[in-house]
Amino acid sequence: MTSELEYTPFELMAAAGARELHDGEIVGVGLGLPVVASFLAKRTHAPNLTILLELGVVDPEPLEVGVDGLSDPRIWYRAKVHTSFADMLGSVLHKGLVDVGFLGGLEIDVYGNLNTTLLGDPKGKFRRFTGSGGGNDIASNAQRTVITIRHEARKLNEAVSFITSPGFLHGGDERSRVGLRGGPSRVITDKAVFGFDPESKRMRLESIHPGTSLEDVLENMNFKPLVPKELPFTEPPNAEQIHLIRVEIDPNKAYAGS
Amino acid sequence: MSKVTSLRDAVASVPSGSHVSLSGFATARCVMAFAHEVIRQGIKRLTVSQCVGGMDADIMVGAGAVERIVYGGGSRGRSGQHHCICRAIEGGTLVTEELSSLSMTFRYLAGSLGLPFIPIRSLNGSDILKRLQEIIPPVVSSVKDPFTGEEWLLLKPLEPDVSVVQVQVADEDGNAWILGPRWDNEEQVKSSKRAILFTENLVSTETIRRYPERTLIPGFRVSHVVHLPFSAHPTSVYSAYDFDKAHIKTYADASKTPEGFQAYLDEYVLGVEDHWGYLEKVGGMKHLSFLLADPTLGY
Repeated sequence: MTSELEYTPFELMAAAGARELHDGEIVGVGLGLPVVASFLAKRTHAPNLTILLELGVVDPEPLEVGVDGLSDPRIWYRAKVHTSFADMLGSVLHKGLVDVGFLGGLEIDVYGNLNTTLLGDPKGKFRRFTGSGGGNDIASNAQRTVITIRHEARKLNEAVSFITSPGFLHGGDERSRVGLRGGPSRVITDKAVFGFDPESKRMRLESIHPGTSLEDVLENMNFKPLVPKELPFTEPPNAEQIHLIRVEIDPNKAYAGS
Repeated sequence: MSKVTSLRDAVASVPSGSHVSLSGFATARCVMAFAHEVIRQGIKRLTVSQCVGGMDADIMVGAGAVERIVYGGGSRGRSGQHHCICRAIEGGTLVTEELSSLSMTFRYLAGSLGLPFIPIRSLNGSDILKRLQEIIPPVVSSVKDPFTGEEWLLLKPLEPDVSVVQVQVADEDGNAWILGPRWDNEEQVKSSKRAILFTENLVSTETIRRYPERTLIPGFRVSHVVHLPFSAHPTSVYSAYDFDKAHIKTYADASKTPEGFQAYLDEYVLGVEDHWGYLEKVGGMKHLSFLLADPTLGY
Protein backbone atom coordinates (compact mmCIF):
# COMPACT_ATOMS: atom_id res chain seq x y z
CA MET A 1 0.00 0.00 0.00
CA THR A 2 2.69 2.45 1.05
CA SER A 3 4.72 1.69 -2.07
CA GLU A 4 2.15 3.57 -4.12
CA LEU A 5 2.63 6.74 -2.10
CA GLU A 6 4.55 9.59 -3.67
CA TYR A 7 7.44 10.74 -1.49
CA THR A 8 10.72 12.57 -1.97
CA PRO A 9 14.19 11.17 -1.20
CA PHE A 10 14.37 13.69 1.66
CA GLU A 11 11.18 12.32 3.18
CA LEU A 12 12.46 8.77 2.91
CA MET A 13 15.75 9.79 4.59
CA ALA A 14 13.88 11.62 7.35
CA ALA A 15 11.73 8.54 8.00
CA ALA A 16 14.80 6.27 7.99
CA GLY A 17 16.52 8.67 10.39
CA ALA A 18 13.50 8.81 12.69
CA ARG A 19 13.51 5.00 12.83
CA GLU A 20 16.98 5.11 14.45
CA LEU A 21 15.66 7.07 17.44
CA HIS A 22 13.93 5.16 20.21
CA ASP A 23 11.35 6.31 22.69
CA GLY A 24 12.85 7.63 25.92
CA GLU A 25 16.26 8.39 24.41
CA ILE A 26 18.18 11.68 24.49
CA VAL A 27 19.27 12.89 21.05
CA GLY A 28 21.78 15.63 20.27
CA VAL A 29 20.70 17.11 16.95
CA GLY A 30 22.79 18.74 14.24
CA LEU A 31 21.60 21.13 11.56
CA GLY A 32 19.41 20.08 8.62
CA LEU A 33 17.72 16.74 8.02
CA PRO A 34 18.48 15.50 11.59
CA VAL A 35 16.20 18.28 12.89
CA VAL A 36 13.28 17.12 10.74
CA ALA A 37 13.90 13.41 11.45
CA SER A 38 14.07 13.99 15.22
CA PHE A 39 10.81 15.92 15.32
CA LEU A 40 9.26 13.23 13.13
CA ALA A 41 10.30 10.50 15.58
CA LYS A 42 8.96 12.52 18.49
CA ARG A 43 5.62 13.07 16.75
CA THR A 44 5.23 9.35 15.95
CA HIS A 45 6.82 6.39 17.75
CA ALA A 46 9.05 8.25 20.24
CA PRO A 47 6.92 10.79 22.16
CA ASN A 48 9.34 10.64 25.12
CA LEU A 49 12.39 11.50 23.04
CA THR A 50 14.37 14.42 24.50
CA ILE A 51 15.74 16.66 21.77
CA LEU A 52 18.81 18.76 22.59
CA LEU A 53 20.21 21.62 20.53
CA GLU A 54 23.86 22.26 21.38
CA LEU A 55 23.57 26.00 21.96
CA GLY A 56 21.30 25.40 24.95
CA VAL A 57 17.79 24.26 24.02
CA VAL A 58 15.95 21.27 25.53
CA ASP A 59 12.85 19.72 24.01
CA PRO A 60 11.49 22.55 21.85
CA GLU A 61 8.17 22.32 19.99
CA PRO A 62 8.64 24.73 17.10
CA LEU A 63 5.78 25.87 14.89
CA GLU A 64 8.22 25.68 11.99
CA VAL A 65 11.81 24.42 11.92
CA GLY A 66 13.11 27.81 10.85
CA VAL A 67 15.36 28.80 8.02
CA ASP A 68 18.64 29.73 9.59
CA GLY A 69 19.88 26.67 11.41
CA LEU A 70 20.30 26.31 15.15
CA SER A 71 20.61 30.07 15.68
CA ASP A 72 17.12 30.70 14.27
CA PRO A 73 14.89 31.38 17.31
CA ARG A 74 12.01 29.62 15.53
CA ILE A 75 13.54 26.29 16.53
CA TRP A 76 13.81 27.29 20.22
CA TYR A 77 10.06 27.79 20.59
CA ARG A 78 8.26 26.14 23.53
CA ALA A 79 11.49 24.57 24.84
CA LYS A 80 11.46 23.25 28.40
CA VAL A 81 14.92 24.66 29.14
CA HIS A 82 17.01 27.45 27.67
CA THR A 83 20.55 26.87 28.86
CA SER A 84 24.17 26.77 27.67
CA PHE A 85 26.87 24.83 25.81
CA ALA A 86 28.44 23.94 29.16
CA ASP A 87 25.16 22.31 30.14
CA MET A 88 24.16 20.65 26.82
CA LEU A 89 27.55 19.58 25.53
CA GLY A 90 29.16 19.39 28.97
CA SER A 91 26.96 18.03 31.73
CA VAL A 92 24.75 16.05 29.34
CA LEU A 93 26.90 15.01 26.35
CA HIS A 94 30.41 14.87 27.85
CA LYS A 95 29.06 13.09 30.90
CA GLY A 96 27.69 10.36 28.64
CA LEU A 97 23.93 10.96 28.80
CA VAL A 98 23.34 11.52 25.08
CA ASP A 99 22.16 8.24 23.54
CA VAL A 100 22.27 9.36 19.91
CA GLY A 101 24.19 12.07 18.14
CA PHE A 102 22.51 12.92 14.85
CA LEU A 103 24.73 14.71 12.34
CA GLY A 104 24.88 15.80 8.74
CA GLY A 105 28.14 15.61 6.82
CA LEU A 106 30.01 17.03 3.87
CA GLU A 107 32.31 14.04 3.27
CA ILE A 108 32.48 10.63 4.96
CA ASP A 109 34.81 7.66 4.64
CA VAL A 110 34.61 3.90 4.93
CA TYR A 111 35.14 4.06 8.72
CA GLY A 112 32.50 6.74 9.27
CA ASN A 113 34.96 9.60 9.81
CA LEU A 114 33.30 12.92 8.93
CA ASN A 115 34.76 15.99 7.30
CA THR A 116 33.03 19.36 7.58
CA THR A 117 36.21 21.44 7.46
CA LEU A 118 37.69 21.28 3.95
CA LEU A 119 35.80 21.27 0.67
CA GLY A 120 37.75 19.73 -2.22
CA ASP A 121 37.18 21.17 -5.69
CA PRO A 122 37.68 19.43 -9.06
CA LYS A 123 41.10 21.13 -9.48
CA GLY A 124 42.34 19.38 -6.35
CA LYS A 125 42.40 22.59 -4.30
CA PHE A 126 40.76 22.77 -0.92
CA ARG A 127 38.38 25.42 0.23
CA ARG A 128 37.54 26.18 3.82
CA PHE A 129 34.12 24.98 4.99
CA THR A 130 32.18 25.13 8.28
CA GLY A 131 34.47 23.23 10.66
CA SER A 132 33.21 21.49 13.76
CA GLY A 133 30.83 23.57 15.83
CA GLY A 134 29.44 20.91 18.15
CA GLY A 135 29.91 18.16 15.52
CA ASN A 136 33.21 16.86 16.88
CA ASP A 137 31.86 16.91 20.44
CA ILE A 138 28.73 14.95 19.52
CA ALA A 139 30.67 12.41 17.42
CA SER A 140 33.22 11.96 20.23
CA ASN A 141 30.90 11.71 23.22
CA ALA A 142 27.49 10.30 22.18
CA GLN A 143 26.74 6.61 22.86
CA ARG A 144 26.15 6.19 19.11
CA THR A 145 25.99 8.44 16.08
CA VAL A 146 23.63 8.54 13.11
CA ILE A 147 24.88 10.40 10.06
CA THR A 148 23.03 11.68 7.00
CA ILE A 149 24.83 12.63 3.80
CA ARG A 150 24.08 12.99 0.11
CA HIS A 151 24.95 9.95 -1.96
CA GLU A 152 27.57 11.38 -4.33
CA ALA A 153 30.92 9.79 -5.16
CA ARG A 154 32.88 12.91 -4.14
CA LYS A 155 31.30 12.74 -0.67
CA LEU A 156 31.83 9.01 -0.07
CA ASN A 157 35.57 8.32 -0.07
CA GLU A 158 37.96 5.61 1.17
CA ALA A 159 39.55 8.28 3.40
CA VAL A 160 38.35 11.82 4.14
CA SER A 161 40.66 14.77 3.50
CA PHE A 162 40.20 16.03 7.08
CA ILE A 163 38.80 14.24 10.12
CA THR A 164 36.59 16.85 11.78
CA SER A 165 34.40 14.36 13.66
CA PRO A 166 35.90 10.92 14.23
CA GLY A 167 34.14 7.71 13.28
CA PHE A 168 36.15 4.53 13.75
CA LEU A 169 39.39 6.30 12.59
CA HIS A 170 41.34 3.51 10.81
CA GLY A 171 38.97 0.78 11.98
CA GLY A 172 39.24 -2.06 14.49
CA ASP A 173 39.41 -0.78 18.06
CA GLU A 174 41.31 2.43 17.28
CA ARG A 175 38.39 4.60 18.30
CA SER A 176 38.15 3.27 21.83
CA ARG A 177 41.96 3.22 22.12
CA VAL A 178 42.12 7.00 21.68
CA GLY A 179 39.54 7.41 24.44
CA LEU A 180 36.38 8.09 22.44
CA ARG A 181 32.95 6.79 23.41
CA GLY A 182 30.37 5.17 21.10
CA GLY A 183 30.82 5.52 17.35
CA PRO A 184 28.72 5.72 14.19
CA SER A 185 25.86 3.22 14.00
CA ARG A 186 24.08 4.27 10.80
CA VAL A 187 24.80 6.31 7.70
CA ILE A 188 21.72 7.34 5.75
CA THR A 189 22.09 8.63 2.19
CA ASP A 190 19.48 9.35 -0.48
CA LYS A 191 20.16 5.90 -1.99
CA ALA A 192 20.87 3.55 0.90
CA VAL A 193 21.29 2.88 4.61
CA PHE A 194 24.66 1.65 5.92
CA GLY A 195 25.85 0.17 9.20
CA PHE A 196 29.34 -0.92 10.28
CA ASP A 197 30.97 -4.35 10.53
CA PRO A 198 31.41 -5.08 14.26
CA GLU A 199 35.03 -6.26 13.86
CA SER A 200 36.68 -4.32 11.03
CA LYS A 201 34.38 -1.28 11.51
CA ARG A 202 34.14 -0.87 7.73
CA MET A 203 30.86 0.44 6.33
CA ARG A 204 28.34 -2.23 5.40
CA LEU A 205 25.18 -1.87 3.32
CA GLU A 206 22.03 -2.53 5.34
CA SER A 207 19.33 -1.64 2.81
CA ILE A 208 18.88 0.22 -0.47
CA HIS A 209 16.03 2.60 -1.13
CA PRO A 210 13.10 1.60 -3.36
CA GLY A 211 13.69 2.80 -6.93
CA THR A 212 17.46 2.39 -6.80
CA SER A 213 19.71 -0.61 -7.46
CA LEU A 214 22.87 -2.06 -5.95
CA GLU A 215 24.78 -0.98 -9.08
CA ASP A 216 23.50 2.58 -8.76
CA VAL A 217 24.48 2.68 -5.06
CA LEU A 218 28.00 1.33 -5.66
CA GLU A 219 28.69 3.38 -8.80
CA ASN A 220 28.17 6.55 -6.83
CA MET A 221 30.71 5.75 -4.13
CA ASN A 222 34.51 5.95 -4.08
CA PHE A 223 34.92 2.92 -1.85
CA LYS A 224 33.42 -0.53 -1.73
CA PRO A 225 31.24 -1.15 1.31
CA LEU A 226 30.62 -4.67 2.62
CA VAL A 227 27.54 -6.06 0.89
CA PRO A 228 25.46 -8.73 2.68
CA LYS A 229 24.03 -11.66 0.71
CA GLU A 230 20.49 -10.55 1.33
CA LEU A 231 19.87 -6.89 0.80
CA PRO A 232 16.40 -5.55 1.68
CA PHE A 233 14.80 -2.36 0.46
CA THR A 234 14.58 0.51 2.95
CA GLU A 235 11.09 0.89 4.38
CA PRO A 236 9.52 3.93 2.72
CA PRO A 237 7.78 6.67 4.70
CA ASN A 238 4.09 6.08 5.43
CA ALA A 239 1.22 8.49 4.82
CA GLU A 240 1.28 9.83 8.39
CA GLN A 241 5.01 10.56 8.26
CA ILE A 242 4.74 12.31 4.89
CA HIS A 243 1.84 14.40 6.17
CA LEU A 244 3.73 15.38 9.33
CA ILE A 245 6.83 16.44 7.43
CA ARG A 246 4.93 18.43 4.79
CA VAL A 247 2.23 20.00 6.90
CA GLU A 248 3.45 20.22 10.48
CA ILE A 249 7.23 19.93 10.80
CA ASP A 250 8.61 21.72 7.77
CA PRO A 251 5.64 23.44 6.09
CA ASN A 252 7.86 26.07 4.47
CA LYS A 253 10.21 23.42 3.05
CA ALA A 254 13.17 25.03 4.83
CA TYR A 255 14.98 21.68 4.76
CA ALA A 256 12.74 19.42 2.71
CA GLY A 257 13.30 21.60 -0.34
CA SER A 258 17.02 20.92 -0.37
CA MET B 1 27.98 53.88 39.81
CA SER B 2 26.74 54.32 36.28
CA LYS B 3 28.78 52.57 33.62
CA VAL B 4 26.52 53.73 30.82
CA THR B 5 28.64 55.13 28.01
CA SER B 6 28.49 55.88 24.32
CA LEU B 7 29.34 53.28 21.69
CA ARG B 8 32.37 55.35 20.78
CA ASP B 9 33.80 55.48 24.32
CA ALA B 10 33.15 51.81 25.01
CA VAL B 11 34.97 50.75 21.83
CA ALA B 12 37.79 53.24 22.43
CA SER B 13 38.53 51.38 25.69
CA VAL B 14 39.71 48.38 23.64
CA PRO B 15 43.33 48.84 22.52
CA SER B 16 44.63 47.33 19.27
CA GLY B 17 46.12 43.91 19.98
CA SER B 18 43.52 42.97 22.62
CA HIS B 19 41.91 39.56 22.98
CA VAL B 20 38.17 40.13 22.60
CA SER B 21 35.56 37.41 23.05
CA LEU B 22 32.28 37.97 21.21
CA SER B 23 28.79 36.85 22.17
CA GLY B 24 27.48 36.06 18.68
CA PHE B 25 26.47 32.63 17.39
CA ALA B 26 25.97 32.49 13.60
CA THR B 27 23.07 34.97 13.17
CA ALA B 28 22.04 35.41 16.81
CA ARG B 29 23.08 38.08 19.35
CA CYS B 30 26.14 39.18 17.37
CA VAL B 31 27.68 42.46 18.58
CA MET B 32 27.39 44.17 15.20
CA ALA B 33 27.37 47.79 16.43
CA PHE B 34 30.60 47.03 18.30
CA ALA B 35 32.15 45.40 15.21
CA HIS B 36 31.22 48.37 13.02
CA GLU B 37 32.69 50.87 15.49
CA VAL B 38 35.91 48.83 15.82
CA ILE B 39 36.24 49.12 12.04
CA ARG B 40 35.46 52.87 12.04
CA GLN B 41 38.01 53.53 14.80
CA GLY B 42 40.67 51.53 12.94
CA ILE B 43 41.39 49.15 15.81
CA LYS B 44 43.72 46.38 14.57
CA ARG B 45 45.55 43.15 15.46
CA LEU B 46 42.72 41.82 17.61
CA THR B 47 42.50 38.25 18.78
CA VAL B 48 38.85 37.29 18.53
CA SER B 49 37.39 34.27 20.28
CA GLN B 50 33.92 32.71 20.36
CA CYS B 51 32.46 29.20 20.39
CA VAL B 52 30.76 29.30 17.02
CA GLY B 53 31.68 31.92 14.44
CA GLY B 54 29.22 34.80 14.16
CA MET B 55 28.68 37.67 11.74
CA ASP B 56 30.40 39.96 14.28
CA ALA B 57 33.68 38.06 13.85
CA ASP B 58 33.27 37.74 10.08
CA ILE B 59 32.90 41.45 9.38
CA MET B 60 35.86 42.36 11.62
CA VAL B 61 38.02 39.72 9.92
CA GLY B 62 36.96 41.03 6.50
CA ALA B 63 37.89 44.58 7.49
CA GLY B 64 41.38 43.50 8.59
CA ALA B 65 40.84 44.23 12.29
CA VAL B 66 41.64 40.68 13.38
CA GLU B 67 45.04 39.00 13.51
CA ARG B 68 44.02 35.76 15.15
CA ILE B 69 40.77 33.85 15.62
CA VAL B 70 40.18 31.23 18.30
CA TYR B 71 36.87 29.50 17.66
CA GLY B 72 34.98 26.25 17.18
CA GLY B 73 34.22 26.73 13.49
CA GLY B 74 30.78 27.69 12.27
CA SER B 75 28.78 29.22 9.47
CA ARG B 76 25.67 31.34 9.04
CA GLY B 77 23.63 28.15 8.87
CA ARG B 78 21.34 28.12 5.84
CA SER B 79 22.52 31.54 4.75
CA GLY B 80 25.96 30.26 3.92
CA GLN B 81 29.57 30.32 5.01
CA HIS B 82 31.36 33.16 6.78
CA HIS B 83 33.05 34.20 3.54
CA CYS B 84 35.51 36.66 5.08
CA ILE B 85 36.76 34.16 7.67
CA CYS B 86 37.00 31.36 5.05
CA ARG B 87 38.84 33.64 2.61
CA ALA B 88 41.28 34.83 5.27
CA ILE B 89 42.03 31.25 6.34
CA GLU B 90 42.51 30.13 2.72
CA GLY B 91 44.71 33.18 2.01
CA GLY B 92 46.81 32.65 5.13
CA THR B 93 46.13 36.18 6.42
CA LEU B 94 44.42 35.00 9.62
CA VAL B 95 46.10 32.98 12.35
CA THR B 96 43.60 30.30 13.30
CA GLU B 97 43.24 28.28 16.45
CA GLU B 98 40.30 26.06 15.62
CA LEU B 99 38.54 23.84 18.12
CA SER B 100 34.95 22.67 18.67
CA SER B 101 32.01 24.19 20.56
CA LEU B 102 32.63 22.21 23.75
CA SER B 103 36.41 22.52 23.75
CA MET B 104 36.01 26.31 23.42
CA THR B 105 33.50 26.31 26.28
CA PHE B 106 35.83 24.21 28.43
CA ARG B 107 38.69 26.65 27.78
CA TYR B 108 36.50 29.57 28.92
CA LEU B 109 35.22 27.49 31.84
CA ALA B 110 38.77 26.72 32.99
CA GLY B 111 39.57 30.44 32.64
CA SER B 112 36.49 31.35 34.65
CA LEU B 113 37.47 28.98 37.47
CA GLY B 114 41.10 30.04 37.53
CA LEU B 115 42.21 26.49 36.68
CA PRO B 116 45.57 25.90 34.92
CA PHE B 117 44.12 23.36 32.43
CA ILE B 118 41.04 21.25 31.78
CA PRO B 119 40.72 17.66 30.52
CA ILE B 120 38.32 16.77 27.68
CA ARG B 121 37.23 13.72 25.66
CA SER B 122 36.41 15.68 22.48
CA LEU B 123 39.01 16.28 19.73
CA ASN B 124 40.87 12.99 20.32
CA GLY B 125 41.68 11.20 17.06
CA SER B 126 40.69 14.20 14.92
CA ASP B 127 42.68 16.36 12.53
CA ILE B 128 41.48 19.35 14.57
CA LEU B 129 43.71 18.06 17.37
CA LYS B 130 46.65 17.48 14.99
CA ARG B 131 46.52 21.14 13.95
CA LEU B 132 46.25 22.33 17.55
CA GLN B 133 49.33 20.27 18.43
CA GLU B 134 51.35 22.31 15.91
CA ILE B 135 50.65 25.61 17.71
CA ILE B 136 53.52 27.23 19.61
CA PRO B 137 53.36 27.99 22.52
CA PRO B 138 51.23 24.89 23.13
CA VAL B 139 47.48 25.08 23.72
CA VAL B 140 46.95 21.33 24.16
CA SER B 141 48.78 18.68 26.17
CA SER B 142 47.97 15.40 27.87
CA VAL B 143 48.18 13.83 31.29
CA LYS B 144 47.72 10.46 32.93
CA ASP B 145 44.71 10.52 35.27
CA PRO B 146 46.32 10.12 38.72
CA PHE B 147 43.26 8.19 39.93
CA THR B 148 42.65 5.74 37.08
CA GLY B 149 45.80 5.86 34.97
CA GLU B 150 43.79 6.80 31.85
CA GLU B 151 45.36 9.19 29.35
CA TRP B 152 43.50 12.53 29.00
CA LEU B 153 43.79 15.39 26.55
CA LEU B 154 44.28 18.77 28.26
CA LEU B 155 43.29 22.22 27.04
CA LYS B 156 44.80 25.54 27.99
CA PRO B 157 42.33 28.06 29.52
CA LEU B 158 41.23 31.14 27.61
CA GLU B 159 41.34 34.45 29.46
CA PRO B 160 40.23 37.24 27.12
CA ASP B 161 41.04 40.87 27.88
CA VAL B 162 37.41 41.76 27.37
CA SER B 163 34.11 40.04 26.60
CA VAL B 164 31.67 41.97 24.44
CA VAL B 165 28.16 40.70 25.00
CA GLN B 166 24.74 41.52 23.60
CA VAL B 167 22.08 41.19 26.30
CA GLN B 168 18.38 41.99 26.50
CA VAL B 169 18.28 43.62 29.93
CA ALA B 170 20.86 45.43 32.09
CA ASP B 171 20.96 48.15 34.71
CA GLU B 172 23.45 51.02 34.67
CA ASP B 173 25.89 49.02 36.83
CA GLY B 174 25.93 46.13 34.31
CA ASN B 175 23.83 43.56 36.16
CA ALA B 176 22.35 41.74 33.20
CA TRP B 177 19.92 39.10 31.99
CA ILE B 178 20.36 37.00 28.87
CA LEU B 179 17.02 35.64 27.66
CA GLY B 180 16.84 32.49 25.54
CA PRO B 181 19.72 30.06 25.10
CA ARG B 182 23.05 31.62 26.08
CA TRP B 183 25.60 29.21 24.51
CA ASP B 184 29.07 30.12 25.90
CA ASN B 185 28.32 33.68 27.03
CA GLU B 186 28.40 33.15 30.80
CA GLU B 187 31.75 31.32 30.69
CA GLN B 188 33.16 33.96 28.29
CA VAL B 189 32.31 36.81 30.63
CA LYS B 190 33.57 35.02 33.72
CA SER B 191 36.90 34.07 32.10
CA SER B 192 37.52 37.63 30.85
CA LYS B 193 39.21 40.47 32.71
CA ARG B 194 36.12 42.64 32.12
CA ALA B 195 32.98 42.86 29.99
CA ILE B 196 31.36 45.46 27.74
CA LEU B 197 27.59 45.03 27.52
CA PHE B 198 25.27 46.07 24.73
CA THR B 199 21.75 46.10 26.05
CA GLU B 200 18.42 46.41 24.36
CA ASN B 201 16.74 47.59 27.56
CA LEU B 202 18.21 49.66 30.38
CA VAL B 203 16.31 49.00 33.61
CA SER B 204 16.51 50.28 37.16
CA THR B 205 18.59 48.44 39.77
CA GLU B 206 15.29 48.05 41.59
CA THR B 207 14.13 45.77 38.76
CA ILE B 208 17.34 43.75 38.99
CA ARG B 209 16.94 43.38 42.77
CA ARG B 210 13.37 42.22 42.33
CA TYR B 211 14.41 39.19 40.22
CA PRO B 212 17.98 38.41 41.39
CA GLU B 213 17.75 34.80 40.19
CA ARG B 214 17.67 36.10 36.62
CA THR B 215 20.99 37.93 36.81
CA LEU B 216 23.46 35.99 34.69
CA ILE B 217 26.16 38.66 34.54
CA PRO B 218 26.89 40.54 37.79
CA GLY B 219 27.76 44.20 37.50
CA PHE B 220 31.16 43.86 39.16
CA ARG B 221 32.47 42.09 36.01
CA VAL B 222 31.30 44.88 33.70
CA SER B 223 33.25 48.00 32.71
CA HIS B 224 30.86 49.61 30.17
CA VAL B 225 27.13 49.45 29.46
CA VAL B 226 26.02 50.65 26.03
CA HIS B 227 22.28 51.14 25.69
CA LEU B 228 21.63 50.98 21.97
CA PRO B 229 18.60 49.66 20.14
CA PHE B 230 19.14 47.12 17.34
CA SER B 231 22.84 46.88 18.23
CA ALA B 232 22.84 43.26 16.98
CA HIS B 233 21.12 44.03 13.66
CA PRO B 234 20.95 42.22 11.20
CA THR B 235 21.25 39.29 13.65
CA SER B 236 18.50 38.41 16.12
CA VAL B 237 18.05 39.18 19.80
CA TYR B 238 15.64 36.67 21.30
CA SER B 239 12.43 38.28 22.56
CA ALA B 240 13.50 41.68 21.19
CA TYR B 241 13.77 41.36 17.39
CA ASP B 242 14.11 38.78 14.65
CA PHE B 243 17.09 38.45 12.34
CA ASP B 244 16.84 40.53 9.17
CA LYS B 245 16.80 37.88 6.48
CA ALA B 246 16.95 40.37 3.60
CA HIS B 247 19.89 42.32 5.00
CA ILE B 248 21.78 39.14 5.90
CA LYS B 249 21.39 38.11 2.27
CA THR B 250 22.73 41.52 1.17
CA TYR B 251 25.78 40.94 3.39
CA ALA B 252 26.14 37.29 2.35
CA ASP B 253 26.09 38.18 -1.36
CA ALA B 254 28.42 41.17 -0.96
CA SER B 255 30.97 39.31 1.16
CA LYS B 256 31.46 36.58 -1.45
CA THR B 257 34.20 38.73 -3.03
CA PRO B 258 36.71 41.17 -1.47
CA GLU B 259 35.37 43.92 -3.78
CA GLY B 260 31.77 43.29 -2.81
CA PHE B 261 32.72 43.22 0.86
CA GLN B 262 34.58 46.54 0.55
CA ALA B 263 31.55 48.10 -1.15
CA TYR B 264 29.37 46.87 1.73
CA LEU B 265 31.78 48.38 4.28
CA ASP B 266 31.90 51.67 2.38
CA GLU B 267 28.14 51.90 2.30
CA TYR B 268 27.01 50.56 5.68
CA VAL B 269 29.98 50.97 8.04
CA LEU B 270 32.50 53.57 6.86
CA GLY B 271 29.93 55.64 4.98
CA VAL B 272 27.85 56.34 8.08
CA GLU B 273 28.62 58.50 11.11
CA ASP B 274 27.52 56.03 13.78
CA HIS B 275 25.03 53.29 14.66
CA TRP B 276 22.08 55.65 14.11
CA GLY B 277 23.33 56.37 10.60
CA TYR B 278 23.55 52.62 9.98
CA LEU B 279 19.98 52.05 11.17
CA GLU B 280 18.75 54.78 8.81
CA LYS B 281 20.78 53.28 5.98
CA VAL B 282 19.22 49.81 6.37
CA GLY B 283 15.71 51.26 6.24
CA GLY B 284 15.15 53.13 9.49
CA MET B 285 12.13 52.77 11.73
CA LYS B 286 9.88 51.80 8.83
CA HIS B 287 11.99 48.71 8.16
CA LEU B 288 13.12 47.86 11.70
CA SER B 289 9.71 47.96 13.33
CA PHE B 290 8.71 44.90 11.29
CA LEU B 291 11.53 42.92 12.91
CA LEU B 292 10.23 43.44 16.46
CA ALA B 293 9.57 40.15 18.22
CA ASP B 294 6.22 38.72 19.15
CA PRO B 295 6.42 38.47 22.97
CA THR B 296 5.13 34.89 23.03
CA LEU B 297 7.14 33.55 20.12
CA GLY B 298 10.34 35.40 21.02
CA TYR B 299 11.03 36.18 17.32
